[in-house]
Amino acid sequence: MSELSVEHLIGIKSLTESDIQLIFAMADNFKQVINRPIKKVPTLRDITIANLFFENSTRTKLSFELAEKRLSADVINFSAGSSSVSKGETLVDTVNNILAMKVDMVVMRHPNPGASVFLSQRVNSRIINAGDGAHEHPTQALLDSYSIREKLGDVAGKKVVIVGDILHSRVAMSNIFCLQKMGAEVMVCGPKTLLPKYIDKMGVKVETDLKKALNWCDVANMLRIQMERLDISYFPSLREYTMQFGLTAQILKELKKPITIMHPGPINRGVEISSAIADSEQAIILDQVENGVAVRMAILYLLAQKIDRPQ
Amino acid sequence: MIVMKLLIKKAKICYPGHKLHGKTQDVIVESGKIQCIASSLKNPGNYKEITSKNLHLSPGWLDLKANLGEPGFEERETLESGMKAAAAGGFTGVCVSPDVQPFSDNRSSIEFVSRAGEGKSVTLYPLGALSKGGKGEELAEMFDMHKSGLVGAVAFTDNKPIPNAKFQLLLQQYSQNFDGLIYSFPMNLDLAGKGNVSEGETSTYLGLKGIPHLAEEITVARDLQILEYAGGRLHFSDISSAESAKLIGASKKSKLNATASVAWYHLIFNDTVLEGFDSNYKVLPPLRTESDRKGLIKALKEGNIDTITSNHQPQNIERKECEFEYAGYGINGMQVVFAALNTFAKELDLDTLVESLGIRPYQVLNKETPSIEEGSNANFTLFDPQEKWTYDKTNNHSLAENNPMFGTEFTGKVLGTVNGKVGNIS
Repeated sequence: MSELSVEHLIGIKSLTESDIQLIFAMADNFKQVINRPIKKVPTLRDITIANLFFENSTRTKLSFELAEKRLSADVINFSAGSSSVSKGETLVDTVNNILAMKVDMVVMRHPNPGASVFLSQRVNSRIINAGDGAHEHPTQALLDSYSIREKLGDVAGKKVVIVGDILHSRVAMSNIFCLQKMGAEVMVCGPKTLLPKYIDKMGVKVETDLKKALNWCDVANMLRIQMERLDISYFPSLREYTMQFGLTAQILKELKKPITIMHPGPINRGVEISSAIADSEQAIILDQVENGVAVRMAILYLLAQKIDRPQ
Repeated sequence: MIVMKLLIKKAKICYPGHKLHGKTQDVIVESGKIQCIASSLKNPGNYKEITSKNLHLSPGWLDLKANLGEPGFEERETLESGMKAAAAGGFTGVCVSPDVQPFSDNRSSIEFVSRAGEGKSVTLYPLGALSKGGKGEELAEMFDMHKSGLVGAVAFTDNKPIPNAKFQLLLQQYSQNFDGLIYSFPMNLDLAGKGNVSEGETSTYLGLKGIPHLAEEITVARDLQILEYAGGRLHFSDISSAESAKLIGASKKSKLNATASVAWYHLIFNDTVLEGFDSNYKVLPPLRTESDRKGLIKALKEGNIDTITSNHQPQNIERKECEFEYAGYGINGMQVVFAALNTFAKELDLDTLVESLGIRPYQVLNKETPSIEEGSNANFTLFDPQEKWTYDKTNNHSLAENNPMFGTEFTGKVLGTVNGKVGNIS
């Protein structure tokens, strides 16, 4: 199979395992490309892509833009700090206005869960979800699994714990779907106040003791505590959070076996992860960033195949 | 239309508990009264004959809560269009919720509603506000609203939760001098937070903020305890959790004066319909689990929940055609309550359905159920539980189109209503 089963990349939930394998195989090729002296291919030179960011983003936006440029696509960027509704224009109108300028694909980040689903049902374009509220962030999950595969040879059979704020995290949900589809076992770990009550229904293990979680796992994905997103106080202080859920060299030393450390960034040094660990051999945080470009190139390339293009 | 003389042929009487229940009868209506009922009646002259295969006749249905938009939201619905939708849905009475603009919290707003229903096939029963402006702070002039107009406020609601327990206590106490009925919309707003769907497996993987069952159940428990302490009459107008129904059932056993309603869509859908983020399924209280849906039907059968409402909430298209979190709540459902339940709520038998629409709503309001006797005022609904029809935008009588059931083929159709001298017969 050489094409994706979906028309848009909305979430991992709608992908098949072979879709994911196809993306990974394609990302292997693009990872070679971006490590060559000339980091560009002309593959998407006939394609125009709009990056619509209705919510702040630095690295995801940069990563997408680089991926697009390395495929030689024309790129336009649109950022709106506030929602389209508050400006009076509907999301569909905003996007259709941009599409009227002959844009072929849309990469969108939006604060509302399901915004990418809503859009994909109403506009005539390929949609790539770059994060919609606490719903999904599929490219992050794909690059995370790709990085595990690169580091450990395979995702299947591996034990992965996601630590931190699971309640407000789209990264956690997409990661759970992706890791499970690839045959990994998943655990979530954090204070009860930041774990969704029904998270166990997703087929994951639930743990509130970081040491137990780390002893169980092969890989720990440390999520950032997004203080700016917390509407009420879910824990008394960052200091106390770190006392319970911060990853330090001391804890790692006490584990029975070495584990791989991941982080979707940006990292809060000294909060969820200590500086020494972030810079250690065990951490693959910068590999994740590099792989992000390759994985996004793969997705853009595969979805562009779905567009009716002149030969 | 004015109905002077009608001969209804071979109608199966659907009136559980009535001596004619299940019997096929001919009925003559003249000058707003049932003149004759017998197994076979000849047309005395130029009486309009109503015949249909599977014709059923039940006491006229009464909807205990519907928002009809007017005044303030006439682009969504007007009292006129709302009455048309209600009549097409088989209702001869609708309790009109006060959450309009300005809030219906005084005598003149109550009179405005009751006058609009005067001489129409649908009687409008105004619901008065509990608090001034619906703000949940100061008591509204409930006594004055109760006494006003043709009908007077039949019950009181802000159509939203009352966060303050002390205020709920005052409501239960104050309403007793005029035997007023207090509606409770049970939801603890602190626990509900910014949630807009039910907290559960579905909300977890969709990333939507959830309203826990606990938010409703804790308030049902609170309001029942306040009722026990203070006395008065209490009606839970918006139940979505099966556990709430159990709490209410237990209170009925201990002779508390509590009743409850459930909106029709809670008996058909569960929260898995939200998978496609269709905002037409965004309702408050939110759609719960399949086990809640089944539990609510069981509670209706057992009488722990008394009635089914339309909880009609028209929205203009711009309030629904947007991102899920920004979308308004509600479904414009009055026209399809019977058809949708008869088609999709398989566990619900026809007798319970008719009881919940046409008998118990009157009991909740302490009103006499329409009588199917010779000499009594004509107030009945005609329907065929087997006729198939498709609901679409051409036969939708509401001004609003926020309903997920457009294009659905239903089994069961309302054929007409008669309310005194006025009828709505196709």
